[in-house]
Amino acid sequence: MSSIDREWLIRRILLVAAMVVVVGLAMVVYFVAKESLPAFREAGPANLFSATWSPRDGRYGMLVFLVGTLTTAAGGLLLGTPLALSLALFLTQVAPRRSRALFARGVEILAGIPSIVLGWLGFTVLVPWIRKLSGSSGSGILAASIILAVMVMPTITAISKDALEAVPASYAQASLAVGATRWQTIWRVLLPAARPGILAAVILGMGRAVGETMAVAMVIGPASVFPTSLTTPTHTLTTKILMEMGESTGVQRSSLFAMGLVLLLLAMALVLLVRRVSRGREAYKVVE
Amino acid sequence: MRIMERATGMEEGKAGLRAGNDVPVERPAQRSGARPVSRRREGEMAEVAAKARRRAFLADRMARLGIWSLSALALSVVALVLGVILWNGLGTALSPSFLFGKPEAMREGGGIWPMVVSSFYLAALTLLMVIPLGVGAAVYMSEYAGEGRLTRLVRFGADSLSAVPSVVFGIFGMVVFVIYLDLGYSLLAGALTLTLLNLPTVMRSAEEAIRSVPVSLREAALALGCTRWETVKKAVLPVAMPGITTGAILCVGRIVGESAAVIYTVGLFVRKVPWSPLRPAAPMAANIWHMYTEGALVPDWFRVASGEAAFLLLLVLILNLAARSVAAAVRKRMGYRV
Repeated sequence: MSSIDREWLIRRILLVAAMVVVVGLAMVVYFVAKESLPAFREAGPANLFSATWSPRDGRYGMLVFLVGTLTTAAGGLLLGTPLALSLALFLTQVAPRRSRALFARGVEILAGIPSIVLGWLGFTVLVPWIRKLSGSSGSGILAASIILAVMVMPTITAISKDALEAVPASYAQASLAVGATRWQTIWRVLLPAARPGILAAVILGMGRAVGETMAVAMVIGPASVFPTSLTTPTHTLTTKILMEMGESTGVQRSSLFAMGLVLLLLAMALVLLVRRVSRGREAYKVVE
Repeated sequence: MRIMERATGMEEGKAGLRAGNDVPVERPAQRSGARPVSRRREGEMAEVAAKARRRAFLADRMARLGIWSLSALALSVVALVLGVILWNGLGTALSPSFLFGKPEAMREGGGIWPMVVSSFYLAALTLLMVIPLGVGAAVYMSEYAGEGRLTRLVRFGADSLSAVPSVVFGIFGMVVFVIYLDLGYSLLAGALTLTLLNLPTVMRSAEEAIRSVPVSLREAALALGCTRWETVKKAVLPVAMPGITTGAILCVGRIVGESAAVIYTVGLFVRKVPWSPLRPAAPMAANIWHMYTEGALVPDWFRVASGEAAFLLLLVLILNLAARSVAAAVRKRMGYRV
C-alpha cells in the first residue's frame, strides 16, 4: 500500500475512533428510550410523573424520586460549595506557596475515592452518628447531602481553582496598586472575573450530585415515600433504579428505564447549560 | 479603567488625610468640578476615610479567618475519611488470609481473592479497549480534525457521556450487552460498558498529553519528510506516552472503584477465581454492595465489607501515587511539561 493510501485509511480509522463517543451516546439514549416505551404506552406520562409509586396498584409515579434527587443534590451543593470555594481561594490566594501543592494533592485524593467506599463510610459512621444526635433512623436527606457534599467538593474546587488562576494577574495587581486589601481584591475583582468559571464548576458539581448512585444508596434509607424530615428515609432516581432493576419486570421495569431517560436528559441539559455559562468565560479578557 | 473605580474611595481620603494633618496641599487637579473645600470638610473626609480603611482591614482579617477555617474543615474531612476507613478495615485488609482467601457463604472467615482478581481482570479487559479507542480519538481531535461541526459534535458527545450517571450505563449495558448480544453477566459485558463510561476521560487526558508535545518536534519531523501519521507515530506519541500512561493508571483506579455500572453487567458474587471473560465475576466494589444488601448470609459481612473498602482505598491511593510519580519521573528526564 502506498503511503498516500495508508494515510487515507488511517485518517478514516481515527475518525471512527473519535465518533465512538457520539455513536455511544446515541445508542445509550436510543436503548434507554426504547426500553421505557412500554411504560409510556401503558402507564402514560400523567401516571409516570405522579407522586405515588405503587406497582401493585399500577401507579408508577416518579415524582418522589425526582424530588429526592433534587433535594439531595441541592443539599450537597449548599454544604459543599462554600467549602469548595473557600478551599479554591485558599489554594490560589491564601496558602503559603510551598504548601499549595501538598493541599492540592489532598483534594485530588478525595476526588479519587470510590463512591462506594464513601457510601460505606456514611453507612458505618455518619448514619449512626446522626441517629445518636437526632434519635431518628439516621438515614435520609441529611446524610445523603453530607455525603454528596464530600463527593462534590473536589470537582468544584478543581474547576474553580482553574477559573481563579485564569484571571490575568494584572487585575489583582491593579486592585492592590490602588490600595485595596487582599479581601477587597478577592471579593470585588477576582471573584466577579472568575464568575463564569465558578458557575460552570457549580453546575458540573450539580451534575455529579444528581448522578451519584452508590454513596447515596447506602445512606438514603431507602423508602419510596416523600420524606417527612431530613432524617427519614426516601429515594432518589438513581437509588431507585439501582435497587429495583434486578427484580422488576414488565411495566415496572420499563418505568425504571423511564427514570433513566429522565436522568439522561437532565445530564445533557446540564452539559448545554455549562456551555452557555462558560461562553462568558471570555467576557473578562482584557486587551493589554 | 473600571477596576480602579471599584477599589476603595482612597484617593479622596488620602487628599483629606493630608489636609487633616495641616500640611498645605494643592487642590488635586484631577478632581473634576473641584470646589474649594473647607478645612473642616477635609477633616471629616479624613475621618470617613480612616473609618473605611479600618473597616476594610477588619473585613480582610475576618475573611482570611473564614477562608482558613473553612479550608481547614474541608481538608480535615479528607483526613477523616481516609483515617476512618483505613482504621476500620486495614487490619483485615492486609491479612493474607483475607486477601488471598476464598469467600465463605455461610461461615465466618472468608476472603476476597476472587474479588481482587475480578477487579483487575475487569480493568485489564477495559483498558485493552479503551486505550486504543481513546488515544485514537485524541489523535484525531488534536492532529487531524478542523474546527468544524464534527469536532463540536464529538466534544458534545464526550461531555454528555461523562455526565451520564453510572447506573444508567449499568442498565444500558444490561440491555445491550447482557441481553441483546447475549453475553450474559460477564466480565466482557462489563468491560464493554466500562469502556464507554471511561472513554471521555481517557480521550481528555490523552488529548492533553498530545497537545503538550512541543510544536517544534512535529515541525522537525515534517521537515524531515514524515507523513502526518508517521509524525504522530514516531514523534508525537512517544513523547505523549507518559501522560497517556498517567491517564491509564488513573483510569484503572476509576474502574476498580466503579460499582453501579458493574452490578448489572458483571454480576455480584462468585466463589471461584474467574478465568473466562464470558462468565460472571465479582469485582470488589460490587461485592461491597452485595455485602451491604445481602450480607446477612455471611455472619461477618461487616468485617469483610470494611476490609474490602479499606483495600480498595489503599489501592486507589497507590495508583494515584504511581500515576504522579510516572509523570514526575518523565518530566525530570525529558524536561517537557507532561
